[in-house]
Amino acid sequence: MPRIYVHPLPVRIWHWINALGFVAMIVTGFQIRYIGLIDLMSFRTAVVLHDWIGFVLIGNFFIWLLFYLISDKIRVYHPELSPLKHFRASFRQALYYGYGIFKGEPNPHHVSVYQKFNSMQSMSYQVIMMLLVPLQFYTGVLLWDVKRFSGMIDVLGGVRVVDTAHVLIFIFFTGFIFIHVYLATLGHTRMAHITSMFTGYEEIEEEHGGGK
Amino acid sequence: MVAVLAATSLTARAAGSALSQLDQQCLGCHSAKGLEKKLTNGEALSVYVDGAVFAKSVHSKIGCAVCHANTSFENHPPVKTKIDSIRDYSLAQTKVCETCHAPVFKLYEGSIHATLVREGYPNAPLCTDCHNPHAVMSKAAYDAATGAPCSKCHDPIFKAYAGSVHGKAALGCSNCHRAHDVSAATKGDQLKDTCLECHQDALAAHQTWLPNAAQHFETVSCPACHSPAAKRKVDLRLYDSVTKQRVAEKEGVPQFESRARAADAKGTGLDAMALRSLLRGFNREGADNETTLRGRLEVSTGVEAHQLMDKSQAIRDCAKCHQQGADAFQSVTVSIVGPDGRRVRYGAQPEVLNSMISVDSVGGFYAIGGTRIKLLDWLLALALLGGVGVPVVHLTANWLFRRYAKKISGKEDS
Repeated sequence: MPRIYVHPLPVRIWHWINALGFVAMIVTGFQIRYIGLIDLMSFRTAVVLHDWIGFVLIGNFFIWLLFYLISDKIRVYHPELSPLKHFRASFRQALYYGYGIFKGEPNPHHVSVYQKFNSMQSMSYQVIMMLLVPLQFYTGVLLWDVKRFSGMIDVLGGVRVVDTAHVLIFIFFTGFIFIHVYLATLGHTRMAHITSMFTGYEEIEEEHGGGK
Repeated sequence: MVAVLAATSLTARAAGSALSQLDQQCLGCHSAKGLEKKLTNGEALSVYVDGAVFAKSVHSKIGCAVCHANTSFENHPPVKTKIDSIRDYSLAQTKVCETCHAPVFKLYEGSIHATLVREGYPNAPLCTDCHNPHAVMSKAAYDAATGAPCSKCHDPIFKAYAGSVHGKAALGCSNCHRAHDVSAATKGDQLKDTCLECHQDALAAHQTWLPNAAQHFETVSCPACHSPAAKRKVDLRLYDSVTKQRVAEKEGVPQFESRARAADAKGTGLDAMALRSLLRGFNREGADNETTLRGRLEVSTGVEAHQLMDKSQAIRDCAKCHQQGADAFQSVTVSIVGPDGRRVRYGAQPEVLNSMISVDSVGGFYAIGGTRIKLLDWLLALALLGGVGVPVVHLTANWLFRRYAKKISGKEDS
């Protein structure tokens, strides 16, 4: 089966650090919010871990950002400027996941070096990477030292407002991570996409396929 | 009578040669135990002075006539002078203190004690309530064993304090509260700053183990953790984010209580909607007067605030506050600074700390876990359900579809 190199090393490093980090952030986040209901570790341990892992993830985010800013691979994130074209492709993709995949129809999206995301992924990742992730880091840093950033927190409406934004994004990522993992199993084999995120190579098949 | 006068003149002489001849003449009568003057309201004003004690007091150097300048042999005893009450006499004499002790008197005038006097509280302390003018020593009048004179009015607090780490170290009340410029315990950050005057490394020490230590210092009163047996509560203080000051009632036009009562139609304490409406009322006053609420975790009573224990007994378990249903968040008040510097409080329902409606009105107070918003818990449950449910439904649909397709193709084959 032909293979193409779609996940360069910096992206793979970023991805797996990010994956482990997000799982750890979700677990410690649950522990912080639901102490008494969940007792995996002490509140303080959970907060300290959450803070440190958060900073690792912020650093990691800049690996991703720097890589895409200095390489031509940034084209994978270029938005489709024609809304009609974009929504038509998204609809086709949704139809595939909701119906076609059951019938064994081929994935309407064909992976290439500069088009590794299908139109649904492309839209989602733009929102996630350019809006939600930075916003989560920003609110997280504010909550890490409330006193130090009290000026900014007050402008935003207070610590409760900042925390609510942080928790809302946390809720989104908690739901998203399950869907993300499941979609990653919808390649031509269950492990195809997951393996490619280790090797960098995506196997190209004509009959079956899927996205993450 | 002759015997009494003979005895008192002996006492006066015994008071020592430190006293002037004039003072000894005064003591000739006033060292008679039980000597008193009947006042208009029926009270008896003791005019007895212990000569020996007076001789040792710092006031012996100035003598009787300096404070009792309006008394002369011609008009004394002042049988015709009417004094309404002991309180009236003390109030009048307080002005005499000011003539020599102007700087200290100025401090006193800014104190909560003087404010209460001005407001007409009959038990509010005057100079002579704390200092016996005929026995003033050069050192503080405070008695560490009995807490006098503070314990005269604040006895329950002194008893609690006596068992505290500070009380056992024989520190006096004025070490924290100051002697003359005593302010309302709830005013500003004066008391917290006083703690930090001695415990200068407290913040650094807390930062070694307490996440967001600086914020805890701002939002949590010292006794909330260092008085471990105390009942804790949250006070949401009206705060002016433009002037960066707590909002104070305007002199003569108190509005807080009436507005709070109007907002709290059921009279069960302010709920989330009522709190919003109260806040809106304050924000309507001035165009750029942004009134917000800043919460503070504190102990319920003044007595509890004085039961400070050794740091080994202080609360270090974060879960004590950072979990749902924590005791600290079951009692909530909203407050404003009253005209005399003391807080005017109004009760609020604990739900204001957990309601989505309060996100902006109680924006300035949030304890992770402890005051979490319930609606977000439901959203999280929904996200989890969706996260697990979508793959399960998709896998099931896929399985059913393939099974059905197999069946169809089986039929077609046959």
